Amino acid sequence: MLSRQNKITGYVLVLPALFYMLFFVGYPIIDNIRLSLLDVNVMNVSHGEQPFVGLGNYKELFEEGVLVTSIVNTLIYTVACIVLQFIIGLAFALLFSKTFRFAQRLRGLVMISWLLPATITAMMYKFMFSGDGVVNDSITHLHLGSHIDWLVTPVPAMITLIIANTWIGIPFNMILLTTGLTTIPKDIYESASIDGANALQKFWRLTLPLLKPAIYSLLVLGFIYTFKVFELVLIATHGGPVNATQMMSTYAYKLSFELFKFSQGAAAANVMFVILFIVGILYLWMVRREEVSSS
Amino acid sequence: MKKMAAGLVMAALVTGLVGCGSSDKNDSDTTQTTTKTETDSSAATTTDTTAKTDTAEKTKLTLWFYFEGKERFDKIKALTDGYTAKNPNVEIEPVFIPFADFKKKLSVGLAASDLPDIVVIDNPDTAAYAAMGLFADITEKVNAWADKDQFFPGPWSSTILDGKQYAIPLGSNNLALFYNEKMLSDAGVTPPTTWDELRTAAKALTKDGTTGIGIAAPGNEEGTFQFLPWLLSAGATFDNVGGAEGAKAYGFLADLVNDGSMSKDVINWTQADVMKQFASGKIAMMVNGPWQLPELATNAPDLKYGIALLPKDQQYASVLGGENLGIVNGKHVDQAVDFAMYVESPDVLKDFAQGFGYFPARKDVAADPYWADNDQLKVFADNMNYAQPRGPHPKWPEISNALSEALDKTLLGSGTAEDNAKEAQAKIDKILGK
Repeated sequence: MLSRQNKITGYVLVLPALFYMLFFVGYPIIDNIRLSLLDVNVMNVSHGEQPFVGLGNYKELFEEGVLVTSIVNTLIYTVACIVLQFIIGLAFALLFSKTFRFAQRLRGLVMISWLLPATITAMMYKFMFSGDGVVNDSITHLHLGSHIDWLVTPVPAMITLIIANTWIGIPFNMILLTTGLTTIPKDIYESASIDGANALQKFWRLTLPLLKPAIYSLLVLGFIYTFKVFELVLIATHGGPVNATQMMSTYAYKLSFELFKFSQGAAAANVMFVILFIVGILYLWMVRREEVSSS
Repeated sequence: MKKMAAGLVMAALVTGLVGCGSSDKNDSDTTQTTTKTETDSSAATTTDTTAKTDTAEKTKLTLWFYFEGKERFDKIKALTDGYTAKNPNVEIEPVFIPFADFKKKLSVGLAASDLPDIVVIDNPDTAAYAAMGLFADITEKVNAWADKDQFFPGPWSSTILDGKQYAIPLGSNNLALFYNEKMLSDAGVTPPTTWDELRTAAKALTKDGTTGIGIAAPGNEEGTFQFLPWLLSAGATFDNVGGAEGAKAYGFLADLVNDGSMSKDVINWTQADVMKQFASGKIAMMVNGPWQLPELATNAPDLKYGIALLPKDQQYASVLGGENLGIVNGKHVDQAVDFAMYVESPDVLKDFAQGFGYFPARKDVAADPYWADNDQLKVFADNMNYAQPRGPHPKWPEISNALSEALDKTLLGSGTAEDNAKEAQAKIDKILGK
C-alpha cells in the first residue's frame, strides 16, 4: 500500500505530463472543434466577425460530396494496404525467423523502404509509374498487356498508391511480428512435433494464436498510420485524377491551405479524428475482451 | 495495468493524429513558441530603430520568396544588397520558402503574427492575402510615385483590391507556343495560328514516341494558369464558363487527347515537366513561359525551336503570370515600399528581369532592345497586350480549383465538356455569391 505522503508525491509528479497533454494535445483538439463550428475563411481569418454556423460546415462538406469520396478512398486504401502489408510482412517475419546464411543482413536490407522518407518514395513511384516509366516499359516489352496510364486513371492511380505504401509498410509489419515470434517459446513447437503436428497445423494452431497480441497492436497501429497517409498521396497524385485518390488528410489540407476554407478544413480533420477515435475504442474493447477471456 | 498502458498508448496515438490531421493547429502551436522569440527579437529591433539615430543601428527586414535554386537566390540577394548599399541603415534578409509550404506558412504566420516584411507573391494570390489582412494599404504612397503610370495594366491591376493598393508588381510573364523547328519542317507543317490548324498540326506531328503538343494541366493553380488562354480565346471569362464558349475550350483540349495528339499524362505534368518533355523531343510543341528559356538552353543546348503566339479561336489570348512584392502590414511598411520602388526603378529592374527570365511589368523597361529586338522574347512582349490577369478576386483559389477540376474531368473523359463547364459555372456562381 502506498502511504498518503507517497500518493501526493505521485500526483505531483504526474502534473507536468498532465499540463503537457492539456496544452499540446487537449488545446488543439478543442480549438479545432471550435474552429469547425465557425465560418472562418479568407475574408475573416485575421479581422472581422467569425460567425458561428454550428454544424453548417459539416453539412456542407457532406453535401458537396468530396469528403465522402475521401472517406471511402481512405478506407479502401487503408484496408488494402493493411491486408497486403500484413500478409507479406508475416511471410518475411517467418522466413527470417529461420536461421540461414545472410538472414540478418537480408532483414536489414528489407528495412530500407521503411527508412526512406515518404517524399522520396512518392517521387520514385511517380517516376516509375509515369506514362513512359519503367513499369509501362516492362509491361509493353514483356508483352504482359497494354500501356496503362497509371497515375492519371482513377483505379490504377489508387492501385499505385497502395503498392507504394505496401512497399513502405512491409518492414514495419515484419519487425513487429518478428518481435512477437521471439516471445513464443521454442519448446511448444517441440512438443507439438512430438504430438505429430505438421508445419501447417503448427502455424494455424500455435503461431497465429500466440501472435494474437502482436497482431492486434500491429493492425491498430498500422490502421492509424495508414489512415493518416499524407506526403505519399500529395506528391504522387495530389489527390487526383479529379479526387480519385483524394484522402481525408490531403482533402483537409487542400481545404485549409489551398482553398483557404479554414473552418471546413478543420471540420474535415475532425471527421478523421472521430473515425480514428472509434478505431481506438474498438482496439481497447478487443484488448479488454482478450484479457477477460484469458484470465 | 496492461489495460491502462494500452489506454495511454491509444490516447497518444489518436491525439497525435489530430495534431497531424489538423496540421494548422499543430503548426500554429510550434510557431507560437517561435513567435515568442521572434517578438523578442523584433522588440529588440524596434529599440534598435529608435536608437538608430544616435548609434546608426540597422533596421532589419525580412523578405520571403519561393524561387528555387542558388542562382535565383543570388539574384534576389543582389537586389537586397543593392538596396542596402544605397540605404546603409536598412538591411533586408531574403528567406527561401518552398512553394509547397509557402501559402501554408503565410496563413499560419498570419494567425500567429509571425510574418516577414515583404512577400514575393504569385499575382493571383495577392487579392486573397490582401483580403485576409496580410498586406498594408499603400495607396497613398503609391499615388505619390511618378513611375506608377509606367506599368502594364494587367500586372498593375493584380496588386489592387477594392480600389486599394497592396503590392507592387515584381515582374511578369505569360504563355506562348514553343515549337520544335526540325519536327515541324519534317512533318511539313507551319506553326499553327488557329485552333483548327493546331489540331491538324498536332495530329501530323504525332508519331512513335512523340506526341504533337503538351501542356501542364494538373488539378491546381498551374493547370488553371495553362487553361485560361484557351478559355479566354474562345470568348469566355473566368466567371462565365458555363456557356458554349467555355465548353468549346474544354472540349478542344479533350479533342487533342482523344486524337492521341496530347498525352493524358498532361494532367500530372508541371510546366517544368512539359519543358523536359519538349527538351527531350517527346513532344513537338508546348505551351510554356519565358522563364523556361534559360532552362531550355541548359537542358537542350542544340535544340532549334521557335516561339509563336498561342493559336487562337475567336481572339489571341494569354494569361498573365508573375509575382508581386506584397507589403506586409507591420512595423516596416515605409522601408518595404521604398525597397519595392527601388527594385522597380528602371536600371535595377532591367538587370534583374534579364537575369531572372522575367518580362518587365513596366512599359518603358519593356521597350528596351533586349526584349523588343529579340525574336524569341518579342513574342512574349507582344503577348503582354493580350495577357489577362487571373481574378483579381480574394476567392481566386476556389475559383481556380473549380476551373482546373473541370479541365481534368474533361481530359479524363468523365462527363462531357458541356456538363463539366456547367458544373464549374455552378461552383463559381456559388463562390461569387451569385
